Amino acid sequence: MAQVPVQTIHRDPQLFYWILFPITIVMILTGVLRHYATVLMATAAKKVDRKTMREQRSLVHGIGVRSNFHVLSKRSFTTRRDALTTAYESGAFLKDPENRGQAPPNPLSDPSSMEGMMGMMKNQMAMIIPNTLIMSWINAFFSGYVIMKLPFPLTIKFKSMLQAGVATKDMDPRWMSSISWYFLCIFGLQSVFNFILGNDNAASQMAQQMGQMGPPTGQMFGPGVDPDKQFLAEAENLAVIEHYSVLDGVEQRLLEGITA
Amino acid sequence: MTPSLLHPPSQLSPADALHLSQEAPAVLQGSPSTVSSSPLAALFSAKETPELWLKYENLLLSCLRTGDEQAAHQCLERLVARLGNNNERVLAFKGLLKEAEAKNNNELERVLKEYDQILSENDTNIPITKRRISLLRSMGRVSEAASSLVQLLDFSPTDAEAWSELADVYLTQGLYPQAIYALEEVLVLAPNAWNIHARLGEMQYMAATAPGAGGGSYQKYIAEALKRFSRSIELCDDYLRGYYGLKLVTTKLLNDTAKPSRQAEEDEFALPDVGTIERLNELATAKLSEIVRHSTAQDRGWRGYDAAEVAAAKELLSKDAAAVSGIER
Repeated sequence: MAQVPVQTIHRDPQLFYWILFPITIVMILTGVLRHYATVLMATAAKKVDRKTMREQRSLVHGIGVRSNFHVLSKRSFTTRRDALTTAYESGAFLKDPENRGQAPPNPLSDPSSMEGMMGMMKNQMAMIIPNTLIMSWINAFFSGYVIMKLPFPLTIKFKSMLQAGVATKDMDPRWMSSISWYFLCIFGLQSVFNFILGNDNAASQMAQQMGQMGPPTGQMFGPGVDPDKQFLAEAENLAVIEHYSVLDGVEQRLLEGITA
Repeated sequence: MTPSLLHPPSQLSPADALHLSQEAPAVLQGSPSTVSSSPLAALFSAKETPELWLKYENLLLSCLRTGDEQAAHQCLERLVARLGNNNERVLAFKGLLKEAEAKNNNELERVLKEYDQILSENDTNIPITKRRISLLRSMGRVSEAASSLVQLLDFSPTDAEAWSELADVYLTQGLYPQAIYALEEVLVLAPNAWNIHARLGEMQYMAATAPGAGGGSYQKYIAEALKRFSRSIELCDDYLRGYYGLKLVTTKLLNDTAKPSRQAEEDEFALPDVGTIERLNELATAKLSEIVRHSTAQDRGWRGYDAAEVAAAKELLSKDAAAVSGIER
């Protein structure tokens, strides 16, 4: 069987210096810029006013009593349970008691939640705008070139990935177009950014996309959650506890444990 | 063991605190005074870590304790340079420095006014709230401190530090049930803290032996004290305070000639029978003498006990021995 002849394409060596390097450097610089833009645009953590703090921490307190009730004696637990359930059911801890029973406000109309959404929008914008610009820049100047040959063989499946913008059927997939180099840079520069900017940088969009896909955090007090319902549910949880104490029979356990 | 700058220095002995603050110039010189955030500098210098700022805070506290106010000011300057003038913690440290340098009551009053001023702008500034409370307490206005604590705990009931401070305040005023309630809240937040279990046992023992305690509440308190001490030992082997308290309570119970006047109610702890109490007493005596023996001999693995606590345990044991020999004679 005849050996497949090795394809050779004569390229101008200057392509290397005038396309490969500029794209890489521009990508790194935009990453750094994006990091600093995100840092500058980040709004300081919002101040929680006293009533909101009271509402949230009272709920956490109830959860604490529910999960650690066993350290208390029966009498002190009952005292706490009575006090907490009464307060929860009467809405004493609510931020604004007059809004009780109404439907929770639309999260879009609530200014405090709007701010969070604006922050998310800003991050998205910081990602989308530079990417669009660079993409169109590359398309306008460098489209249609083959700029390098990878030093290892690849299967035909990689053709669409590596030769975007170069519609040639028979070309070896080892040849790489400039657009593909751009995509490789998007996905591969994470470790470079880690080196330059430290571990928790905002330069790489990969990390941000991962963050969006991850489980939503902090939903407990998020917008659109009705605290009154949470309080009522917690009161019910407290009411159904069958009390036991960790102090029941502790001296027997101690004697057996030490002597055994 | 040399004390680390990464832990709050409030528990250190005076000698350790002095040692720390004498090292202050070396520490201040060895750490960068400001940390640049530019990427070029970050490539060549050490990375900024949260530990650095923690170190400055603890050094500041140690220096204030030993009266090295110059070094304390340097620490504060670095914290301000990094965290800004209006950071909540930095504000609290500034106030602390002013309190330390105040010469008389009028200056303290002025600091108190400043705290009020800060709090009127931002009433959820918890570090400043706490400084204000401790300033009130050290100025002798204990009841005001207690009511401020109650206000703080109303909007932040998950603050273990504030609850235990409140317990301490109530204890100094002799309000045992309130103090016990506050300490129980600490336990709800930290269910496995053996020191809090033992402390609660101590409070209950105090409440039981207080002059006003009648028959019913005496039995309730002393039974729970016994159980609290047992639990603290269960959580932490060879815990000196736990064994000390256990020995104290069981001895008290054994010496009590009066039999329990009534049955415990359903929602209270019942006292164990006399045999169990005797065995607990023997166990506590054996363990205490073991701890005292090993720790006076400085055996490996038995260091780290507080000298004063060991001395107290020794005294308790010898008193007990004298009582026993007195009975035999």
